[in-house]
Amino acid sequence: MHDFIERITAYVHWALFLLLEVLSGFLLFQYNHYQGSVWFTQANTAAAMVHEWEAKALSYLRMPAENAALVRRNIILQNKLDILRHELALTRADSSSTHNPQEEVLRNMTLIPAQIVDNSVRKRDNMLVINAGSNDGVAPEMGVVSGTGVVGIVSAVTQHHSLVMSILNSHSSISCRLRGTEYFGYLKWKGGKPLRAYMDDVPRHAHIQKGDVIETSGFSSVFPAGIFLGKVAEIKNSSDGLAYELEILLSTDIANLRHVNVISNQNKAEIDSLLTQ
Amino acid sequence: MIISTLKRLVWALLLLLIQVLILDQVHPWGYGAPLICSLIVITLPMGTSRSAALLWGFGTGLIADIFAGTAGISSAALTFIAFIQPPLLEVMAPRDSEEELRPSFSTMGRWNYLQFIALLLLLHHIIYFALEGFSYFFIEDIAISMGVSYAASLLLIILAEHVRNPKK
Repeated sequence: MHDFIERITAYVHWALFLLLEVLSGFLLFQYNHYQGSVWFTQANTAAAMVHEWEAKALSYLRMPAENAALVRRNIILQNKLDILRHELALTRADSSSTHNPQEEVLRNMTLIPAQIVDNSVRKRDNMLVINAGSNDGVAPEMGVVSGTGVVGIVSAVTQHHSLVMSILNSHSSISCRLRGTEYFGYLKWKGGKPLRAYMDDVPRHAHIQKGDVIETSGFSSVFPAGIFLGKVAEIKNSSDGLAYELEILLSTDIANLRHVNVISNQNKAEIDSLLTQ
Repeated sequence: MIISTLKRLVWALLLLLIQVLILDQVHPWGYGAPLICSLIVITLPMGTSRSAALLWGFGTGLIADIFAGTAGISSAALTFIAFIQPPLLEVMAPRDSEEELRPSFSTMGRWNYLQFIALLLLLHHIIYFALEGFSYFFIEDIAISMGVSYAASLLLIILAEHVRNPKK
């Protein structure tokens, strides 16, 4: 009997090894789709708190660069505002119509400011954690943008934090179009470089040049139309040779991002209910 | 015994903090990130029971996973090297070493310890990147990420070991 027990205990580590590896495998398959469980992701309270301290400390270090970027952005916007004001004055002068559809679109959007507290770009499925949650009005499926363009889509929320599926995620697929044309497709990231994404299914008769602008199409309720995504860097043939596949240089460098805005679309529920009918 | 376990725990927490707060945010040339939490498993002293080693590995991996959002990946990789570490240490430690030998440059000899680290670290990286890139079709990118990450981790671990155990 004693012999028997000894023999069993000599192999107990094998059993433990297998058990722990199976457990890891279970975690791997169960929780890598994030939405399934908020508590086991970076958005859980403990992890988010630690990441938030870190983000606070880092934001001081990154302030000069952020400031420079903001100033530059400000100048561009100021410039645009001047041009628009000028144009508005012209249209008012020769037409009584002051109806502005763009204004109409934006009126129904509320921007919720947030800071990124955890970020990754090196994985196949990258996620971000931001410090705005359900208490701030964030809900899953809302779009997240920065001053330079689209960042991602909210996938899960806790009271004070949200988990955002970055555009650098193999499951991300954002409806986009070539600015000024009706050609649209889906923007996908295939791993690798954090500034390279692809737009599929662009018809062969489309006139495309390197440097053409890609923006959101507005077909989904997540992003309004016309938000900057990036520029065409390379025009390639799709794998079946029937269409173009565009390599896109993304405008937003997710790796160096701190301040973002969540787009809260008050019409979203309405649009979604129409889509499901 | 309790004191050495406590010391080990503090050391593990420190390494995990460095991993989670600093190294997970560093991507040399946009590829990979150094993974040094395996050092917790690598430096388990001789005579640690194999089950205890496995629990150290799994626990460390689990914490690293929660903070990095890589559920199951680090825990699988670290459990695996925790399974390999004790027998490998038996083989690679000098014959006349003391019973509770704690692996380091001074106790195992420079070259031996370097080989020991390099081997375990390589296993850790292979498993980590294989699991992470499960359905990844950019095999080159995985290979580059792994290479960059491996080189950076090895360098950092050698540095860390020199800081922790300065030459007398």
